[in-house]
Amino acid sequence: MFALSPRAWPITIKVPLAVAALMTMVGLVLSERVVARLGDTQERQFRDLAQVYLDGLSSSVMPSILRDDTWEVFDAIERARELVKGLRALQTLVANDDMRVVAASEPRQHPVGSPVVIPATLSTSDSQTFSFEAGGTEATALRRLSFPGRSVGLIYARFDTSDLAAERRNVILTLTLTNGLLTLLMAAVGWLLVARMMRPVRVLTEHLGAGDGFAAKAIPNELLASFHGEFRRLFEAFNSLVGSMDERETLVKRLAEEERLGSLGRLASALAHEINNPLGGLFNAVATLKSHGHVDNVRASALGLLERGLIGIRDVVRTALTVYRTDSGSRDLIAADLDDIALLVAPQARRKSVAVHVDSRLNDTSRVPATPIRQAVLNLLLNAVAAAPEGSDVKLIARGDQHDLEISVEDRGDGIHPSFADILTGAAGRSVPSEGSGLGLWTTRRLVDELGGRIEVTMPSGGGTNIRLLFPCCNRRELANVA
Amino acid sequence: MSGSGRAATSSGVLSFGLTPVFLTSDLELLDGLKNYLEAATARSVRLVLRRTYQEITSLLISNQLAAAWICGYPFVVNRTALDLVAVPLRRGRPLYQSYLITEQDRTGSDIAALKGDVHAFSDPDSNSGFLVTRTLLAEMSVRPETFFSRTFFTYGHRNVVRAVASGLAQSGSVDGYVYDVMAELEPDLTGATRIMRRSEWLGFPPIAAPKNPVDPAGVAALKDALLRMKDDPRGRSILAMLRLDGFSAEPPALFDTIAVKAAYVALAG
Repeated sequence: MFALSPRAWPITIKVPLAVAALMTMVGLVLSERVVARLGDTQERQFRDLAQVYLDGLSSSVMPSILRDDTWEVFDAIERARELVKGLRALQTLVANDDMRVVAASEPRQHPVGSPVVIPATLSTSDSQTFSFEAGGTEATALRRLSFPGRSVGLIYARFDTSDLAAERRNVILTLTLTNGLLTLLMAAVGWLLVARMMRPVRVLTEHLGAGDGFAAKAIPNELLASFHGEFRRLFEAFNSLVGSMDERETLVKRLAEEERLGSLGRLASALAHEINNPLGGLFNAVATLKSHGHVDNVRASALGLLERGLIGIRDVVRTALTVYRTDSGSRDLIAADLDDIALLVAPQARRKSVAVHVDSRLNDTSRVPATPIRQAVLNLLLNAVAAAPEGSDVKLIARGDQHDLEISVEDRGDGIHPSFADILTGAAGRSVPSEGSGLGLWTTRRLVDELGGRIEVTMPSGGGTNIRLLFPCCNRRELANVA
Repeated sequence: MSGSGRAATSSGVLSFGLTPVFLTSDLELLDGLKNYLEAATARSVRLVLRRTYQEITSLLISNQLAAAWICGYPFVVNRTALDLVAVPLRRGRPLYQSYLITEQDRTGSDIAALKGDVHAFSDPDSNSGFLVTRTLLAEMSVRPETFFSRTFFTYGHRNVVRAVASGLAQSGSVDGYVYDVMAELEPDLTGATRIMRRSEWLGFPPIAAPKNPVDPAGVAALKDALLRMKDDPRGRSILAMLRLDGFSAEPPALFDTIAVKAAYVALAG
């Protein structure tokens, strides 16, 4: 379907139409010139023939007019009919100086002695006038006869020019047909040429993914082989561009993975500490069991201690496993996810005497994937704990319903550096960070972008930083494959 | 130059004048006539054609022609200067009629119906093409120029038929013999006309010679050739072309009726 506006038409239509329009214009101009020229030629031809006719007739009727010899004039008119080949006199009329008919080729229409009325187109004072209209079926001529200086009479003749008109019609018809056929042919050739010339562009457009999605894909070698010259070079350049884009994508994925491992590293010591802390107590319990295990209450107390310590270690290890299990991808976010994150960060927070408050008001209907959001929030929370002064609070607030999900992380630190804020919200987040710093923020930005969400960074008046992640939940399905 | 000099005497050439009483346009006929006369007279013959009767009559009277085929009217007017050589026979009789013709769609049978016409005469010296109609008008005490709106001479009987057929003239006076032959040869032309009135039978246009010919033997040979024409195969083919039966020797009294008309018109003025 073409749009109504010609600007929106495909070039394969526009070019043939333009060719047809130009050809029609050229055809019209040429035809007009040819027909005008033909008209001139026909008029000249008619004038020449009429001149010969009038010359012949006037020399034979002149003495007869002077003698008022009706028969001789009539006989001369009759004979003159055959005088000029290619000229058919419809009517010839010879009048005397009193403008009365001496004889006419059609005596019943113009009886001898009847007055002569000359058409206005010929009633000039010239000795000879012609009236020829291109395409007309009749032409007229008038010759005033004078005998040394004295006007004697006139010859008025009407000629049949229908053969000239027919010739003209034939020429116009031939021109119209020829031009029409040529125009159609040119338009068809134009269409073929443009379609052929536009083929590389079409191939490029298809592989750029303009039609569905935006995934550019390389042009296959067998298709590439059918092109030569500059388009071949363009396609090779395009393929290498697609190649570097793929490489970049791979790099980005690897970076994200590394960042995940990086944050694991950051957690590792805290986790070790978290596990190590109860270990002393557990060994004490084991020693107590060894020496006083036979005492019931002591054994029960030591076993209770052992169990609690092992449960604590199990919980920490389970949470860490849950967070870093990559195959949990397609699950939706639920409130417990945020509690897990708080638990993960807890050892780090405890070491800094920072209190992490989780205010989760998710109603478990948020249609956003769990894994990327957990990683993003973990990054932000780790950063917030690191930035928070000792003894301060870090707040993790989540609100969600079936329409939107909003998660904010707020600390009371010195405020985020503008260059880091730019990674989260500005142009800096679109390119891979050149230096090692900011990789966590860049990963967060990328995860949020891929989910179709956005990030707002504000500095509350009381100090610190508030980072809000906003997700429209309806994007869930469309972005499922991205997650 | 033709017509000049005394051709009939000097070189033994017989000059024979022809008026448009018959169809002079037929070159085959002229050739045949010349060849026949040369063979029959054993003399070389020159056919002399002129546009008007008067020119031929003048050449004849001035003895520049051995003989000429003229009309009854100039014959009776110049009776004293001319002798009859032979008279053509049409359907066995040396007689013909004058016709008054009109356009095909005209009605009426009386010359009075032609009042106000443009009228075509053949020749002012023609009996059938002028004198007969002139006499009819004189009997009504009118003259052609007042009775007709306009008259003109075509100097040929065939031309009178053409003039009436084309509508150039509404009526015309024509030789009945010429008209009848034309009706055979050119029915389209005569078909556009109607014979409104036929005159009484009159003496056929004769062949005449000067009363005192320069070459009497030549005239005699010519007369003999004409009278014997119907007995010769070549002569008969010419007669067939002319639609005539032959030539005969007739008394000049044959033309008395024409002489009466001429006299009547002369008296009427």
